[in-house]
Amino acid sequence: MAGDSTIDLLQGTLDMLVLKAVSLGPLHGYGVLLRIQQISQNRLEIQQGSLYPALYRLEHEGWIAGEWGQSENKRRARFYHLTAAGRRRLEAEAKKWNQFAAVIGTILTTDSA
Amino acid sequence: MTRGSDLDAQVDEELQFHIETYAEDLMRGGMLRELAMRRARAELGSLAVARENSRQAWGTRWFDELRGDLRYALRMLAKSPGFATIAIGSLALGIGANTVIFTAAQHMLLDRLDVPHPEQLRLLEWEEPHPGAVESLWGWYDDGAAGLRSTSFSYAVYRQLRRENRSLADIFAFKNFGRMTATIDGQAAPVNVEMVSGNYYAALEVKPQVGRGIEESDDGAVGSGPVLTISDAFWAKQFGRSRDVIGKTILVNAEPMTIAGVNPRGFTGAYSAQESPDIFLPFSMEPVIAPDELSDGKQPLLENSSIWWVLVMGRLKPGVPAMTANAALNVQLKAAVRATMSVKNDSQIPRLALQDGSRGQNPNADSLVKPVAVLMGLAGFVLLLACANLANLLLARAGARQREMSVRLALGAGRGRILRQMMTESLLLSLVGGAAGLLLAWVVRNGIPRLVSHAWNPPAFTARFNWPIFAFAAAISVLTGLIFGLAPAWQATRVQVSSGLKDSGQTATHRRRGLAGKAIVVMQISLSMLLVVGAGLFVQTLVKLVKTPLGFQSHNVLLFSLQLPEAKYPGPASLGLLRQIEDRLAALPGTRSVTLTTVPLISGNASTLTFVPEGQHYRREQRPAVLENTVGDDFFRTFGIPVVAGRGFNQGDTPTSRKVVVINESVVKKFFPDRNPIGTTVYAGWNRPYAVEIVGVCADAKYYSVRESAQPTAYMPYTQRAGGLTEPNFAVATSLAGEAILPSVRDAVASVDRNLPVLDVRTQDEQIAANLQQPRMFADLTAGFGLLALVLASIGIYGIMAYSVSRRTSEIGIRMALGAPPQRVLRMVLGEASWMVVVGLVVGVGAALALGRVIASMLFGVKSWDLATYALSSALLILVALGASWIPARRAAGVDPMKALRHE
Repeated sequence: MAGDSTIDLLQGTLDMLVLKAVSLGPLHGYGVLLRIQQISQNRLEIQQGSLYPALYRLEHEGWIAGEWGQSENKRRARFYHLTAAGRRRLEAEAKKWNQFAAVIGTILTTDSA
Repeated sequence: MTRGSDLDAQVDEELQFHIETYAEDLMRGGMLRELAMRRARAELGSLAVARENSRQAWGTRWFDELRGDLRYALRMLAKSPGFATIAIGSLALGIGANTVIFTAAQHMLLDRLDVPHPEQLRLLEWEEPHPGAVESLWGWYDDGAAGLRSTSFSYAVYRQLRRENRSLADIFAFKNFGRMTATIDGQAAPVNVEMVSGNYYAALEVKPQVGRGIEESDDGAVGSGPVLTISDAFWAKQFGRSRDVIGKTILVNAEPMTIAGVNPRGFTGAYSAQESPDIFLPFSMEPVIAPDELSDGKQPLLENSSIWWVLVMGRLKPGVPAMTANAALNVQLKAAVRATMSVKNDSQIPRLALQDGSRGQNPNADSLVKPVAVLMGLAGFVLLLACANLANLLLARAGARQREMSVRLALGAGRGRILRQMMTESLLLSLVGGAAGLLLAWVVRNGIPRLVSHAWNPPAFTARFNWPIFAFAAAISVLTGLIFGLAPAWQATRVQVSSGLKDSGQTATHRRRGLAGKAIVVMQISLSMLLVVGAGLFVQTLVKLVKTPLGFQSHNVLLFSLQLPEAKYPGPASLGLLRQIEDRLAALPGTRSVTLTTVPLISGNASTLTFVPEGQHYRREQRPAVLENTVGDDFFRTFGIPVVAGRGFNQGDTPTSRKVVVINESVVKKFFPDRNPIGTTVYAGWNRPYAVEIVGVCADAKYYSVRESAQPTAYMPYTQRAGGLTEPNFAVATSLAGEAILPSVRDAVASVDRNLPVLDVRTQDEQIAANLQQPRMFADLTAGFGLLALVLASIGIYGIMAYSVSRRTSEIGIRMALGAPPQRVLRMVLGEASWMVVVGLVVGVGAALALGRVIASMLFGVKSWDLATYALSSALLILVALGASWIPARRAAGVDPMKALRHE
């Protein structure tokens, strides 16, 4: 379960993470979950209940596209991959996030005047 | 809908996969299967919630929300059945009234001929300035200052136009010939006849449902095509739709003809879309069947190139625009006129204009457009009134539901969401009201044709409820829902969450609210004033028309007509028959007097006569004319028209004696203002006037309508009519009610000729009532509208005053606690109502005056700004308004201050 080392997910960043996870290769919903945990080195805990709504929202907006395929355990699953628009969106969101982080960082490292 | 369930299944499958895969991972870590499944499910959360959230993310939520809104709206309406009933009831009446009038309007004005591509048809019309080459006309015409317009052509001109035509696909001709007698298996029946050219069916692309149509081979030499086609209605009525009607021989005007085909149902001929003739004949049979029609004894009508009588239509050719065809045909018309007629040097040749033919000649259109438009306008106002009432009621309800709205807003509902929910309620009400209105209109659909038909004729059409009518009802339902739902919905979303949640939602001095409601009531009063004044004017018009003196005695006079087959009673032979019938009828007990009259009085029919006193000379086209009626000896006695000088007609006026005429006083005023006309010779006649002597002067009597005053009229005895008569009308003055004597009348006619059916039986009073049908209908409808308006307005005023009082209960309590007597409170409330009424009346008077300008031509005997009407209407409205505000005012005055203040 979660220890103190896990960070709570900020609102709105789930979309960005899903897009990033899917950008590395087509995944089904469970696979997205695993990949995010993997590349965050288990420091990020995703609420499983909010995963699928996020997936459907992203699909509705056209940033990812889903199609049925066969999973590793020979079962039918829905695989999502990044669309061109999704790729652009991911770049834009990443850029905004970095800018945000930089500003906050600047503020926090200011010595009291 | 299906997409929703598809998506549901998809979500389920994905989630199931997720759960199972996660569980497998857990099991690989050593967990038991059941535990793993439970854990997986728990972590994923409730499947239903997930599904719900997913659905929301997709954006199909609106459909579920709509369903929820509808269910909620239904529950709210079920909780207040009184409100729902009033709302749906008044909407049903408003929408129903509009639908009824639209049905009638659509049929009378918009219906097109039932042929393929009616929009391609063009009706040929011509115009010639005075003096024109065309002098004799049978058919529709419009004689204005600019010239003479008509759609009638001579048969010879039509033939040439058809021969030379290159610009239209084909040109064909037809004529609504009028009535003839058909004898089927020995039984005589009147039939309406349309004569057509051989290419009629081909050009119209109409295929008979049984047998064949009239073909070119039937329209060759005279008498070569003794065939006819019949309408579907005639087939049903006379032959019971039996298929062995084809090849059957019947007599038309005593000439044997064979039935070749039956027209498809819904085909009404090319003349009008409203009524269908019974039988269709080729032109080639005209000289055989109706040889005396408009013949001057020498030439049959078909060869007479100076009488213009056939209607001509054509279909546009693909690729040839109408303007090009028009220009080409114009040239050809000029050439045809010069080729077939002798044209005087200064006579103008007619110029051709192609008119829309999709509705045929559409004979009713001109006279009906304005009355129908006025009716639709008035019905629209009534609907607006109903909407206003409902808007006010909903506003009041919205005010009462403020707390509910505040709670919703606090819980996170967007303002758009609330707006949507309130509009759903309004639209639900209006759609249910619209459905009820449509049902109402359907129930009275059989009454709709009676609005426009005569009492003794079968209704001209059966009101069909087709898609345009449904669309119309649906459209105005939605429109009313939007209109009266908008104000309350907007009001509801302007609620402040914080103040709405507080218990005392109103401060005592908050006066601004209610302005919307008051404005609506002012509008209602204006509309009511408009409708009441309109009703007053139309009712007075009817009363004045009914009371206006006719100049003749109309009570207890029975009218009927006969159709004499020309073959059996050619020309002068008909006179002897008519004399016999007159004598037999006069001998019946119960008759006071009998006469023939070619033009029945107040029937809308007219006949004119050239009338040139001896010694005066005019150019042919400028010769004066008077109205004419060829009558029997006892005409003046039968109708009670006094002969003021000289004599009437008597037995001495025979075919061989000197031709005589009796004129009315208007003729004397116009032609002989300063001398005694008795004994003067006058040249009178139709195509070729002949000398007649004036032997008497009678009093003026109205001629073809109650509205028109008496015009100069000349009367001639039928015994001196050389050409004979084929369609005589009889008038029998009886000592008792007309209907009682009808059987003996039929017997008397049958005793002279068994095969002469008595047609168009009605009393003179019924004839007059038919002439007054439109004013009567208007008086009835507008009176109904006015009454409805008063009821709706009073409900509206009561509602708004009651609401206003209830909101100001605390204010009133304070006032009374501070010492205001109840009378003061009463006056205050009534005063508030009064200023609404005054403003409403002022606006209403303005609107009524504007309406008066529009309907002025439809009124009779009363001016559109009649002071008495306006004064009475204002008084009535003030009475109604004050009466409606009385109860809330009394309630306000009766408020107990203690209770009011405690009721915070």
